[in-house]
Amino acid sequence: MRISDRRFAMFLMTPAALFLAIFVAYPLLRLVTDSFFKISPMAGGPRDFVGMDNYLRAFASEAFMGAGWRTLAYTLVVVTLEFALGLGMALLFTMLGRNSQIWRTVFLYPLMIAPIVAGLLWKFLMIDNFGLIGTLMHQAGLLANPNQIGWLSDPNIVLFSVAIPDIWLTTSFMCLVLFAGLQNIPGDLIEAAKLDGARAPALLFRIILPLLRPVIAVALVVRGIDAARAFDTILIQTNGGPQSASETMSLLIYRTMIRFGDPGLASAMGTIYLLAMLGVAFFAVATIWRPGKDN
Amino acid sequence: MSLADHRLGGTKSTETTLPAAAAGSRKGTKTHTDTGGGRRRRPRHHAEGLEAGKRSTRTLLWILLAAAMILYGFPFLYLLFTSFKTPIDTIAVPPTILPREWTLENYTNALGRSGVLASFINSTQTAIISTVLSLVLAVPAAYGITRYKTPSGRVFIMAALVTRMVPPVAIGIPLASMMSAAGLADTPIALSIAHTTISLPLSIWLMSSFFEAVPQDLEEAATVDGCSRLGALWRVVIPVVSGGIAVTAIFAFLASWNEFLFALLMTAVRSQTTPVVIANFQTQFGLDWGSMTALAAVYSIPVIVLTLLLQRKIVAGMTLGAVKG
Repeated sequence: MRISDRRFAMFLMTPAALFLAIFVAYPLLRLVTDSFFKISPMAGGPRDFVGMDNYLRAFASEAFMGAGWRTLAYTLVVVTLEFALGLGMALLFTMLGRNSQIWRTVFLYPLMIAPIVAGLLWKFLMIDNFGLIGTLMHQAGLLANPNQIGWLSDPNIVLFSVAIPDIWLTTSFMCLVLFAGLQNIPGDLIEAAKLDGARAPALLFRIILPLLRPVIAVALVVRGIDAARAFDTILIQTNGGPQSASETMSLLIYRTMIRFGDPGLASAMGTIYLLAMLGVAFFAVATIWRPGKDN
Repeated sequence: MSLADHRLGGTKSTETTLPAAAAGSRKGTKTHTDTGGGRRRRPRHHAEGLEAGKRSTRTLLWILLAAAMILYGFPFLYLLFTSFKTPIDTIAVPPTILPREWTLENYTNALGRSGVLASFINSTQTAIISTVLSLVLAVPAAYGITRYKTPSGRVFIMAALVTRMVPPVAIGIPLASMMSAAGLADTPIALSIAHTTISLPLSIWLMSSFFEAVPQDLEEAATVDGCSRLGALWRVVIPVVSGGIAVTAIFAFLASWNEFLFALLMTAVRSQTTPVVIANFQTQFGLDWGSMTALAAVYSIPVIVLTLLLQRKIVAGMTLGAVKG
């Protein structure tokens, strides 16, 4: 007996679809339902339906709104900086041509390091008193004393400091993707532009960047999603402090759930966060990325 | 002037050195790479495209690259150096870059701690189970999506992509309570399943790209020869995409090896992975920086070495989805 192609395709996809339904869709459903209840953190504790109360509490809470803005700022800082650095490195590698191959490989190494290790490492470099960065800047004459900048203790700059490991970890990814995109730009085009007298900035902004647009779009979407979910690096560096100045959405939800034992409120926050992420991501995918369509 | 006829045929095209650029793009897979040797033989020949031609420019670029590499590589080297300092020197003020005295004390301290060796076993076990699970589910699914192009397949791959956008913190807690309800609390199996929720969507996406590149005649020929469709997949298609499967496996393994949030939520004593142990060092032992750096180094070095060995495959996987667009 021969089954139809359509059935056979279904048969192949079913196990993965079931897995995602059970272990992603179902927990998400539980998250959404939990968000309408006031739940005691104790197992088997009371569970009262409170309607939209958790949502109202979330939007009324300064911590939640603050975390939202910080997550946005954090994502912008991380993605912008790593895009600029990644593009610079990709251009550098391209201009050096084939000889740079071994260095491209070495440049990949931070991608393999666990975010928790990267966070720890940079905390060690930036920490007050025995952090190396302050000491080196002091020795170079940039700072009057090694502790002048409280990288992880000054609420005004801590959100930037905790972003550094993330940027360090994933600039390689950005560089690699952009480098691959650069390889697909026909050399003739660049040559012709050069003959026409195009200088470096014109070459970059008028030819290279427009041609790289689809690749740039994908890289920004992928990294944007990841940066907005940052957790490990921030948790180990500051745990959201000082004074919540580095508390992003993932951390706030985690702490609301675990520390403050309020699963209902945490679920409402998680649902809003999820909807926001999906909204932004859908918009980005539909308008910028368009997977599967030829640009 | 027309760009197309400019120096047409006058340039030597070679396959790009980056496998993914070739694999990832259906359009221009050819690119211009000038070898150093060629330039030396013909000193007046200008480098093509974006490659820098002038010797002085190239020297400047190399200096720039060297500076960038030193800056970029330094943090991890500092971690390594610190791990060989004496525990007191790790927190000396002002800090030194190189150890005053090289010692393995931090390593013996860290590895001797109870639970540390077990956490390595847990990490390895979890990563292996999650990789296998991810492949077993993703390979047929991706094949079903790309080979038959049904509407449900298109919906499914978009759904898989959406899954990638779900913040782990949103599903972590319901998932953890599901696992304890199923009696799987604090087991590598539970954590492997959680990690598979991360690696499965990526694996489906990657495998779809690899299957796209396989010509359909291949399994058509096999079915004509009397192979069943499953037989053709198993005996003809799978061997052809084995390189892609390896790439996907590496990514699934790395995702699990480095994951922290699920591990934090879902493991306690028995199944704790090393990232959680590293994080716990901060609270449990009052900032023992020496042991922490040693453990971090031990945990990172195997994957760094493995990756540098398999870099071609890694690069292929990383650029595939992106360049393909």
